[in-house]
Amino acid sequence: MSRRNARWLFVAFLAAYTVALTWPGMLVANRIEPRILGLPLSFFWVALWVAAGFFVLLNLHVAENREREPAGGEPDGGDAGRREPGAQTPEGVD
Amino acid sequence: MERWQLITVIIGAYLALTLGIGLAAGRKTSDSVTGFVAGDRNFGLLVMYFVTGATVFSAFAFLGGPGWAYSRGAAAFYILAYGVLGMAPWYYVGPKVAELGRRRGYVTQAQLVSGRFESRFLSTFIAAITVLAFIPYITLQMRGAGIVIESVTDGNIPIWVGAAVAYGIVLIYVLSSGVAAVGWTNTFQGIFMVTIAWALGLYLPFRLYGGVGPMFEAIGEARPELLTAPGLDGAGAPWSWGAYSSAILVSAIGITMWPHIFMKAFAARSDEVLRRTVVLFPTFQLFLIPVFLIGFAGVLFPEAPEVADSILPFMIMETDLPTLVVGLFCAGALSASMSTGDALLHAAGSVFVEDGLGPHVRLSEKRQKWLMQVVVLVSGAIAYYFALDEDSSLVLLLLTAYGIICQLAPGVIAALYWRRATTRGVVAGLLSGTATALFFFFQPDLKPFELHEGILGLLVHVPVLVLVSLNTTRQDSAHVAAFLHGVEPEDGVEPEDGVEPGAGVAPEAGAEPTAGQGPDGA
Repeated sequence: MSRRNARWLFVAFLAAYTVALTWPGMLVANRIEPRILGLPLSFFWVALWVAAGFFVLLNLHVAENREREPAGGEPDGGDAGRREPGAQTPEGVD
Repeated sequence: MERWQLITVIIGAYLALTLGIGLAAGRKTSDSVTGFVAGDRNFGLLVMYFVTGATVFSAFAFLGGPGWAYSRGAAAFYILAYGVLGMAPWYYVGPKVAELGRRRGYVTQAQLVSGRFESRFLSTFIAAITVLAFIPYITLQMRGAGIVIESVTDGNIPIWVGAAVAYGIVLIYVLSSGVAAVGWTNTFQGIFMVTIAWALGLYLPFRLYGGVGPMFEAIGEARPELLTAPGLDGAGAPWSWGAYSSAILVSAIGITMWPHIFMKAFAARSDEVLRRTVVLFPTFQLFLIPVFLIGFAGVLFPEAPEVADSILPFMIMETDLPTLVVGLFCAGALSASMSTGDALLHAAGSVFVEDGLGPHVRLSEKRQKWLMQVVVLVSGAIAYYFALDEDSSLVLLLLTAYGIICQLAPGVIAALYWRRATTRGVVAGLLSGTATALFFFFQPDLKPFELHEGILGLLVHVPVLVLVSLNTTRQDSAHVAAFLHGVEPEDGVEPEDGVEPGAGVAPEAGAEPTAGQGPDGA
């Protein structure tokens, strides 16, 4: 995924996460049945979003690093955050 | 040997090991203030992962988590929900904070904020609310440690001895090794508490109900109200959605603003380490699943403990577990308590000296470090005094503390991302937000939709910050550029500030996707 898309996904995910786990989004899965892996649906729903958070962050990290490394030549970060090509990068470069 | 004596031996061995690790950790760190406060900015991924995880999850999570699941049911889910939301923006904010620390020599949060918004009052005010918020937090950790030791030794080791011994050890390694000790002991303690939580969280439901599924089936029939959000309130009546939702938001905003967590960004070896820590954080968060399972396992338990928070030690003692398991559980609970308590004590010393005194008096490096150690000791003593006092309003104080700590968020975000913010705007926002939060704390009946007072404070704080900033003189652009980039801005190439995700507070950034990250949360 390109960095631009990964960032969009990240931000959209956080917005969706906030809605899904508070009122009113939580109402969607606020039931005991069906139980999944033994957990009530409500409990599983919260855990599922937390676990999804890991994958969204991982995806973001992979995308960010792919673009950071060739540009900065400093895989360990350094102050690469400030030297990103950012706005100049055409979207969809992958 | 009697059972409680054997348990005492196990606890003793655990404490000795922790002390050894803590003392050994300091041997490589320099004797400077940066060494004491920020570990020479040399924490690697393993240490950062556990420092972050173990610091966030305290005795409150280990004892309070099961306690909430046990007595308030699904209300506890908020504890599971907020962590990821709070940590995710740190993927961008954390490295930026760390970079400023390296470039401008900051080791605390107030230094960073008042580095951009030059005001001694601001620095001192942040230091004051930090230390005030810390005291009940440290007190809770100490009480947690004392309660666990007392209950597993059948009362043979009273709270005052247990808390004194556990925290005496914490003081020794924090005083001698600074943050390096916090880092390495937290790594050890983090592994310990996660292992114990998963082991008990799966074992107890099997032992008592024959599995996790049968357990929830039984609870679903007997107490279905416990299994759907927002669960119950402290008195057993249904909790409100407003309170549940705003608890998630206020905690998410507050989590990285707690100075003992914020300051760890200065301790990371590199930005990559910080980013990876954030990416891995949800895996630590999932440790709350077994913690809740333990609490739910107690719901249909025939007998009940006097206070919900001691459901975990209560069940441990009532289910005839092998002595070794009880001892290890106790060590796990102590890990949770001490790994947060040490970070808090350490941060109290650093903040008080660097931010409270630093702007007003000139001190030599040696003197600063000495003073920090004195403050660590004094905070420990004050918290110990309160820990022995049977005052349950401490939990309330901690919740208020969260409401005040999250008022630090707009100032930090403005310092990092909003060029138009001014010192007056930030000070006005902080004062009005804190005052609002305190007002609703004392007048809870006036809270709309039972929203958390911290959120109500932010609803005043952010508009005040923005409006006052826009109506006061713009900050000198050379100063802002020097703060943000270390250089004068070059012609034509405007730095891309405010367009990075995480720039939630900057009104100019409206074109970019920033929903869900600003202090407004959603």
